[in-house]
Amino acid sequence: MNFEAYRGWFIVGSLVLMLAAAAPTLAIFIHLPNGSEKFSELWLLGPGHKAEDYPFNIASNHNYSLFLGVGNHLGYSAYYLVEVKFRDQTQPAPNSFNRISSSLPSLFNITAFVTDEGTWELPLTFSFDFEYNEALTQVNLLNVTLNDFSFDMRNQTIMWDSRNNGFLGSLFFELWIYDTATSSFRYHERFVGLWFNMTSS
Amino acid sequence: MHVSKLFVVSIMLLVLSSQFLVAASFAGASEDTAASALANAEESIVLAYQATLNAEEAGANVSGLLVRLNEAGQLLASAQIEYRLDDFEKANELSESSKSIAEEVQNAAVNLKDSALSESAQRMLSTMVASVLGVASIALVSLYAWYLLKKRCGSTGF
Repeated sequence: MNFEAYRGWFIVGSLVLMLAAAAPTLAIFIHLPNGSEKFSELWLLGPGHKAEDYPFNIASNHNYSLFLGVGNHLGYSAYYLVEVKFRDQTQPAPNSFNRISSSLPSLFNITAFVTDEGTWELPLTFSFDFEYNEALTQVNLLNVTLNDFSFDMRNQTIMWDSRNNGFLGSLFFELWIYDTATSSFRYHERFVGLWFNMTSS
Repeated sequence: MHVSKLFVVSIMLLVLSSQFLVAASFAGASEDTAASALANAEESIVLAYQATLNAEEAGANVSGLLVRLNEAGQLLASAQIEYRLDDFEKANELSESSKSIAEEVQNAAVNLKDSALSESAQRMLSTMVASVLGVASIALVSLYAWYLLKKRCGSTGF
């Protein structure tokens, strides 16, 4: 067996070892693309911190609790804004197909800074103050209290929905994100919400 | 007599109306001050966030800064609500607190970025030196091993 026949293998082996030794330095200059998907999460949990027992039948001036959460998988620390809005069945909702937010004004804005791969959660306690009209066909909202802050809702009414047997209103949360390129918040195409039946008093 | 009475009544009316005018102008200034404080706090938070992002890109751990930024954000949200409820004094106070935290975060982020950059440069230098030494050592050892093997095999007739 000729020793020279192993020369090629010897050179390849040496080069592999040299490449291994140079790998930490190469890693500084060569950045391979990260294949993981970039996205944000937005969730709403019930009072038991689970996706169950969400309030539906709402009594006037009673407190209900929820948990609002945001998860960041964008690859950088993000600055989020959650716009809390209320609507009845006739008012515009956010549109998932057209990727637009609801044109309704926000009742309350919540900001959150979330680290990459981190989560943020806020306990929410809310109550609605409302009354019925004389014919019992309409609910007149007076105000909504969210985490001890009261907001005037005197312009908001909810008509009786005979098909669903209730006075239905939705409290929903839109996720916005701060865009450093435009120096403004843009709709992040995510929203969660709950429908309430304002029939209990 | 009548003229002097009229004069006294006019003076009293002037004094009373001037008090209303002063009160109204103070209320206006307070609202303007609160609006300006809110805008300043918002801007400070954005600047602090951008400084935090720069520090993060430089490799710094910014989780502590984000906790403080969340505090500033909560204060700003409360200030915005107080402003809507016409409590301009409270809105101003909360905005100032929010701004103060944001400025503190911005300064800390700049310091963190600087230290992260210098640490990163030092780490890069030591990594490069270690790699160069490693590659050179492997090359030398390989050549020497090859030389020894060749010599030994040559003498044994392999």
